Amino acid sequence: MSTVDSERTGLRGRAGEVYGWIDERAGTTELLHKGLYEAVPRKGGWAYTLGSATLVLILLQLFTGIFLLLEYVPSFQQAWISLDFLQHSDRFGAAVRGMHLWGAYTLILIIGLHMMRTFLSASYKRPRELNWVSGALLFFLVLGLAVTGAMLPMDNAGYWTLVVVTNIPHYIPFIGTGIRTLWRGGDFVGPIALTRTFAIHIWVLPFLMFALIGGHLALLRRHGEFGAWVNYSTSSDDPEREITGRIRAAEPPYPTKRIERRYAAPRETVNFFPFQLGKDVMVSIVLVAVIFVMAFLFGAPLDERADPSTLTYTPTPEWFYLPLDQLLVFIPTTWLIGFGIFVLMGAAATLFTILPFIDRSTHRRPLERPEVLLPGLFFAAMIVMLAVLGITRLYNL
Amino acid sequence: MALPTLTRRQWLGITAAGSGLITVMLTLPALGFVLSPLFQRQRRETYRVGPVDDIPTATPTALTVGVSSGEAYDTTRVDRTVYVVRRQDGSILALANTCTHMQCNVHWSTELNQFLCPCHGGLYDLEGRNVGGPPPSPLPQWVHELREEDGQTVLYIENRYDESI
Repeated sequence: MSTVDSERTGLRGRAGEVYGWIDERAGTTELLHKGLYEAVPRKGGWAYTLGSATLVLILLQLFTGIFLLLEYVPSFQQAWISLDFLQHSDRFGAAVRGMHLWGAYTLILIIGLHMMRTFLSASYKRPRELNWVSGALLFFLVLGLAVTGAMLPMDNAGYWTLVVVTNIPHYIPFIGTGIRTLWRGGDFVGPIALTRTFAIHIWVLPFLMFALIGGHLALLRRHGEFGAWVNYSTSSDDPEREITGRIRAAEPPYPTKRIERRYAAPRETVNFFPFQLGKDVMVSIVLVAVIFVMAFLFGAPLDERADPSTLTYTPTPEWFYLPLDQLLVFIPTTWLIGFGIFVLMGAAATLFTILPFIDRSTHRRPLERPEVLLPGLFFAAMIVMLAVLGITRLYNL
Repeated sequence: MALPTLTRRQWLGITAAGSGLITVMLTLPALGFVLSPLFQRQRRETYRVGPVDDIPTATPTALTVGVSSGEAYDTTRVDRTVYVVRRQDGSILALANTCTHMQCNVHWSTELNQFLCPCHGGLYDLEGRNVGGPPPSPLPQWVHELREEDGQTVLYIENRYDESI
């Protein structure tokens, strides 16, 4: 038995024997084959690295986050002191914290690009609707983690983020004040608010996140990577025959079930390993290297210790939160905030999440579905405009 | 004695009843625990802010006092700002510097002659009335009282605002 395995794995001598022993009991080779030798569309492989990069960046956050937990103290009195020590007296502390911050920034950027790629290529259509829904929820969880993470340092920036963000739910009609009280553990922002936010940041959101990631990946393997319309064009005089041939020759996980015939199998596929995985690894290495460099060059800022009585500090939101902050400026009175933030934002978030059930046409090319593309572009333009206005306001440009 | 064989229907009945019971046992305390801040009573405390006799008319003066939230286990006294305003008639306002929009830290701007919130540009006049920008209501006041001590008027505040914001 073990000789066969060592031939398959190319491991020789002692290492081959050890591997063979493990493989006989754990079935590692079979597992690896299942994981690695799946067909993926040939064209556009670089665009499909964004999903795996998102996963790698989330794992990096988990990894650096665990290290931060070794020193950070989630207490109103000691949080800032522990981070001040980590920043200035601990040889590598600033770098680890820097990686956690720049990792978060990069993650938001990459998950946004991943989402845009999926949107433009209409990969979310039947039967991959739940891939999109789980992905949209993951996107919200990432934003939730980003904003709760910004609250924890208990420097001025963190404290005022905690104050402002926990205050936002209070504008929801009827139940809003209750939500604020539950998040803060009272009316004031103090030790209880910090502990609760900490628990949300390190347990509640990551727990939901890893459950959803499992589902997201299982769905991906079930239906196979859609890719984009470029993988489904036909070149012969008899497209029907060409498609039939494709479906007949398809390798798992293709042909995709419950989809229009022409999108059941890509015209050309490659093995996930090494072709796609090679690109995935390269992109992830570059991203992690960028994060590493940014962490060492710029690190993560730590403001003065939180001063709830300050008269001089100007709270400014993190960049990813700027469009929403600018929206707050535009919507003045109470009912408008309740309406503006919760009806408007709630409707936008809901429409975004259930996109596959709204856009039910069979078109996959961007130009063939202006009814989805134009609102999408409008939405993106609004966000960019709000961000630009926010920057202009905050930095008096 | 042989165990009686279980039909699927019986299994379903037992499991449904059992898991229902477990669900109730697990969620009721958990729910009560999570919701407890809604029902807790704040411990009211009173703090001595300081004498206010020298505070000039129509010039808000920021005083600082350590205030505990009095919520749950929290006894930490955190510095908070009390803007003392003496009106023309001599009466005193004890404004909190908490913006009613997003609870940012407002300050008295001598240039504008108004309270300014640095977050979204909310403006309040000398009396704390919201006069510009997004704030929906006036600045709250600390619940306060003035006591005469050794010929001085001393301001005391409680750890709560006169109205919920």
